[in-house]
Amino acid sequence: MPRYVLTRLTLLALGLLAASAIIFCTLRILPGDVAQTIVGTEGTPEQVAALRAELGLDRPVLLQYLAWIGGVLTGDLGESLLTGAPVAAELAEKARVTVPLGLLSLVVAIVIAVPFGVIAALRRNRVSGAALNALAQLLAAVPVLWAGMMLIVVFAIVLGWLPAQGFPRAGWGDPGAALRALILPALTIGVVEGALLLRFVRSATLTAIDADFVRTAAAKGHTRTGALLRHGLPAVGLSIITMLGVQIAGIVVGAVVIEQVFNLPGIGRMLVADVGARDLTKVQGELLALTGFVLIVGFLIDLVHRAIDPRQRDTAEVQS
Amino acid sequence: MNAPVRFRLMTVAIAAAGSLALTACSGGGSVPGSPAESASLTVGLIAEPTNLDIRHTSGAALEQALIGNVYEGLVARAIDGDQVVPALAESWEVSDDALTYTFHLADGVSFHDGSPMTSADALASLTTVKSDPSVNNHAVLADAADISAPDESTITITLDAPNQNFLFALTGPAGLVLPAEDDTDRRTAANGTGPFTLDSWSRGDALSLVRNEDYWGEPAGVAEVSFVYFGDQAALVSGGRDGSVDAMPAIDPELSSQLSGEFTIVEATTTDKFILAFNSAAAPLDDVRVREALRRAIDHDAILAAVGAAEPLFGPIPPLDPGYEDLAGIVPHDPEGARKLLAEAGVEDLSLELTISNHYGPRLPTLLVSAFADIGVALEVNTVEFATWLSDVHDPSTRRDWQLSIVNHVEPRDFSTWTDPDYYYAIHDEAVLTAVQERYAEAMAEIDQDASAELLAEAAQLVAEWHPADWLYVRQDVIAVAPGVTGFPTAATSTRLPLAGVTVER
Repeated sequence: MPRYVLTRLTLLALGLLAASAIIFCTLRILPGDVAQTIVGTEGTPEQVAALRAELGLDRPVLLQYLAWIGGVLTGDLGESLLTGAPVAAELAEKARVTVPLGLLSLVVAIVIAVPFGVIAALRRNRVSGAALNALAQLLAAVPVLWAGMMLIVVFAIVLGWLPAQGFPRAGWGDPGAALRALILPALTIGVVEGALLLRFVRSATLTAIDADFVRTAAAKGHTRTGALLRHGLPAVGLSIITMLGVQIAGIVVGAVVIEQVFNLPGIGRMLVADVGARDLTKVQGELLALTGFVLIVGFLIDLVHRAIDPRQRDTAEVQS
Repeated sequence: MNAPVRFRLMTVAIAAAGSLALTACSGGGSVPGSPAESASLTVGLIAEPTNLDIRHTSGAALEQALIGNVYEGLVARAIDGDQVVPALAESWEVSDDALTYTFHLADGVSFHDGSPMTSADALASLTTVKSDPSVNNHAVLADAADISAPDESTITITLDAPNQNFLFALTGPAGLVLPAEDDTDRRTAANGTGPFTLDSWSRGDALSLVRNEDYWGEPAGVAEVSFVYFGDQAALVSGGRDGSVDAMPAIDPELSSQLSGEFTIVEATTTDKFILAFNSAAAPLDDVRVREALRRAIDHDAILAAVGAAEPLFGPIPPLDPGYEDLAGIVPHDPEGARKLLAEAGVEDLSLELTISNHYGPRLPTLLVSAFADIGVALEVNTVEFATWLSDVHDPSTRRDWQLSIVNHVEPRDFSTWTDPDYYYAIHDEAVLTAVQERYAEAMAEIDQDASAELLAEAAQLVAEWHPADWLYVRQDVIAVAPGVTGFPTAATSTRLPLAGVTVER
C-alpha cells in the first residue's frame, strides 16, 4: 500500500508539473497583453512598452516560467499583474462561493441520480422506467447555460421565489441569503450532472441485478429488490464513486459557466475576467489550482477505491 | 465666470430643498416615500475597470466609477452635459490672452485619510502629469510653461499657447488632485476628496463606495453605492428583473422592454461614436474610392433602426461636442454609386475582413455583411476579444495586418486622434493630414469659442471627406431607473457617473 501511494503521488506531481507547463505555454499564445489592456485606447506605444518592462513581460519566456514555477513550489502563486494583489488570497476568497456551489451541485446530482437510477433499473421493463431513462437522456443533453436561463425565468422572474443574480454583499455573513443565491445555480449544474450520473447508476445497477451473487441471494429467499439493495449496491457503489470523481471535473467546468449566468463572484467569473484582461499570472494560478483540484480528487478516489475494494488490493500485492 | 457661480448657487438651492425633505421625515429616514439617508444604491454595469490606478490605467469604466465620486479634479463636467463646472476650484479666471488660468481652491477640503487638501497637493498632482510621460493624459500639461501655487488656496497654470480644449481636458484624469505625500496603492485603494470613499473592490464582481461623512461639500444622498458588473446584457437585465439592481445606465435597447413595467426608462445623449475604421495604409483601402464606396453602401437608417437607441453621425464630431455639423450630405446611401466607384477603382471580387471585439455582439457585423454583399463586396467577420483587438488593430506596429474594425470610442472631444499620424485609423495622405492638423491647431489656439467651433467643423469636414472611416452612429444611453431613485445622471453616463446627488426612497 505505501509503495502504491508513493507511485501515485509521483504521478500526481508529474501531472501537475506537465499541467503547469501546458497552461503557461498555452497562455503565451494568446494575442495581446496586460500592459496593452491597462494603457487602453488612449495611451501611447511608449506607455505600453514602459509598463511591459515594469511588469517583467519583456523577459525571456523561459525565465518567466521558472520564476513562476519556483514561486509555486514554495507556495507562492505570485501577484496579479493588474492589481498587485496576491493570487492565492484572491483564490481563497472566490473559493468561498465556488466550493459551496460545487458541493451543493454534487449533493443535488447524487440525490437525483442514485435513487432514480436504481428505480429506473428496477423498472427497466416498464413504461415508468423507460420514461425515467429517456428523461435523463434528455436532461443530460441540455447545455448548462440554457438550463440556467430557463431556471432563472421560471423561479426568479415568473415565480419570484429565488434571486437570479449575484451573491449577497455580506457573503457568508448572511448565510440564509448566501444559500438562497446558490440554490438555482446548484440546481442547474446538479440536474444536468445528475442526469448523466443517473444513466450510469442505472446501467451499473442493471449489471448488479444480473450478477450471479445477486441471483444467488435472491435464490436464498431475498426479494429481488432486497437482494439488490443488500448485496448488489455495495458492489456497484465502488464504480459510482469512480464515476463521481469524473463528475467533479464536470462540476468544476459547470461552475465556471454558471457563475457567468448567475453573476456569482466565484473562481469561474474571476477566471473569465482575468483572461479578458490578460492578467496571466493570475490566470496561471487559477488554472493550476483548478487542474490541481481535479487531479487530487482523482488521486483520492483511487486511494479510496483501493482501500475498500479487496480485489484490487490482492492483485496489487500479487504483482508487487 | 458667471455661469459657474450660478451653478454653485443652484446646487446650494437643490441641497437646501433636499435637506428640507430630509428633515420632514426626521425619524431615522425610514418613512416610506421619502429619501432614506441610510439607503444604498446598486448600479448594474457591464464594462468594469481593469484596475483602479487612475494615474496609469485608461478607460471609460474607471473614470465613470471614480471621477466625481471618489476623486475630484479642479473642474468637472456638468451632470447634464459636457460643460465645465467648478469642483475643487470653486472659481477661476482666464487671462485676456487665454494663457494663464488662475484657480481658487475651495476651503475645508480634506482627503479621505483626513489630511487637509492644499494648493501644494494640487501643484504636486499637476506637476506629476506634466513631468511623467507614463501618466495618463500627460499631453494635456506636457507643454504648460508654468504651474505654480502662489498661496495655500491658489493654483496658476500658464500655457505656452492658447488651448480652447484645456479647461475641458482638466475634467479628465489630468486635473485630479491627489495627496502630495501618500503611499496608497492606487491599483486597489484610493485616497481622494470625493463625496464617497472606496469601500471594497472585487475584480470581476463589484466595486463598493460608502458616503464620506467628512465631505467638504453637500454630503451624498445615499450611504452606500455598489457598482455591480455583469457578464453580459442578459445577466444585467435578469438582475434588474429580480430586483437586485436599482439603476442601469446602459441597457441594450432591445432588452429595455423587459424592464419597462417596473423601471423608468430614459434615453440620454452620449459621445459614444461607433466607428467603422478603414485601414487606409494598405491596398485596397488605400484607394479613397473604395472607402467612399463602402460608406455609400451602408444604409445608416437601417442601422439606427436596428440599434434602437442611436443618433446618426457622418463625421468625427458628435452633437454634444463643439464643432458638430450634420455631414449626412457627404455620403448618401447609394449602392448604385458605390458599385460605380468600385468599378472606377478597378476593384473586382473584393473580399474584406472586419475585426470586432466580441462584446459588441453580431448585430452590426450582420448588417454590414449584407450591405457590402449588395455592392459585391464579401465581408468576413473576425470576432476577437478586446485584448486581441488592442494588439491586432490598435497597436501601431500591426498597421498593415487589419482591414476594417469597429470600436465604440466613448471619449468626448477626442478629435485630436484624427491629427495623430500613428493612430490606428490615421489619415495616410500627407496633404490632408497636414490640413486637418493645422485647422485643429488653429481651433485650439482660437480664444473665441464660436470661432473655434467653426474651425473644428472645417477640420471635421476635411476628415469626413477623406473617408478614413464610417461613423455608424452615436449611441444613446438607455437608462433604467427603479422607482424611488431620484437624481440619477442622464447624460454622458458612459464616462461620468457622479452619484452624490442621488437619493433613494425606502
